[in-house]
Amino acid sequence: MASAPSPTPGGYSVTPTEPAARPRAHGSAPAGGTLGAAQTAVRPPLPVKMVIAGGFGVGKTTAVGSISEIEPLTTEAAITEVAAGVDDLTHTPRKTTTTVAMDFGCITIDPTLKLYLFGTPGQDRFGFMWDDIVEGAVGGLVIVDTRRLDDCYAAVDYFEHKDIPFAVALNAFDGKVEYDVNEVRWALDVSEHVPVVVFDARERGSVRDALLVVLEQALARSEG
Amino acid sequence: MADGRTARGADDDGFPVDPFGPVAAVRPFLVTAGRVAPTASGRPVPVETQVVATAEGLEALDRLSFEQHDIVAACRQPQSIAEIAARLRLHLNVVRVLAEDLRAAGQLTVHVPHIDVTRDASVLRRVIDGLRAVPDSRGVLRDTD
Repeated sequence: MASAPSPTPGGYSVTPTEPAARPRAHGSAPAGGTLGAAQTAVRPPLPVKMVIAGGFGVGKTTAVGSISEIEPLTTEAAITEVAAGVDDLTHTPRKTTTTVAMDFGCITIDPTLKLYLFGTPGQDRFGFMWDDIVEGAVGGLVIVDTRRLDDCYAAVDYFEHKDIPFAVALNAFDGKVEYDVNEVRWALDVSEHVPVVVFDARERGSVRDALLVVLEQALARSEG
Repeated sequence: MADGRTARGADDDGFPVDPFGPVAAVRPFLVTAGRVAPTASGRPVPVETQVVATAEGLEALDRLSFEQHDIVAACRQPQSIAEIAARLRLHLNVVRVLAEDLRAAGQLTVHVPHIDVTRDASVLRRVIDGLRAVPDSRGVLRDTD
């Protein structure tokens, strides 16, 4: 494994000075802690990001909500409809802007590590927006409604193109899928290395297991 | 609806629903004085970038106004850029710009995660182990039905 020199013990580039080398961050926030302690800049957890992609209404937000420790949050981003960098925005006022919604949640692994789950906007024409969300992600889960297979092509293409570890998860609406894993694998023409699983976006354990499949992919890549 | 599409932006009767509430009276980038990039050179920081208020920032809270005040106040506990944007209902890039300003003024620390670190095998193993400990909805690790 290539040695990845850690810029700081926590894996951050921290801009201003910080209290150095805190041996162990304390997890549970000291409820009612002293004012002085509360005002000390704490070392935040290392954020690890996964992306939940797929067509519109396929269960992305449901999946995030099933496992997130917070109610899924939504941010809005008003961006140009043509694939332009944000820098162009002020210079091209005639371009139409669109507001896209992005839902996300998180799971605290331990006081030093936090998993973030970001859902991509469902429409593939917002693909340029994805870079903003996906940059730095360790992996992606493409959720598929087997009744509308073609809705997931954009997401599959995106992760393949970006060479990001991902898995395909068939959401079992009403407890069943229209096509089995092999049929979907054939239809999507994904590499045999890409796991295809059946899951239920409403079940926390099922979402957890689907995310673990992606993380195992990412780990294999990291160790490979 | 029979096709299973739960259209965001329309309720059961098909009436449009604004998912974000009233339109802000102030255009997003007015509060950043027209700047859209967080730094002159760098790429935008990732949405999961962690931001924490400094003691200096919290002391200056009374002197800060509007969005700057709200951001520093929200960052008593570490927050991601995305969480700040969602909770304060600000545009992601507005938060990026203002967080950089506040960092330069010493009122926030901004912790940009390194891809080399988050994709490191040891970190991924810790995430895997931690996620495995997440119980099923019923509160057991694995159920047999």
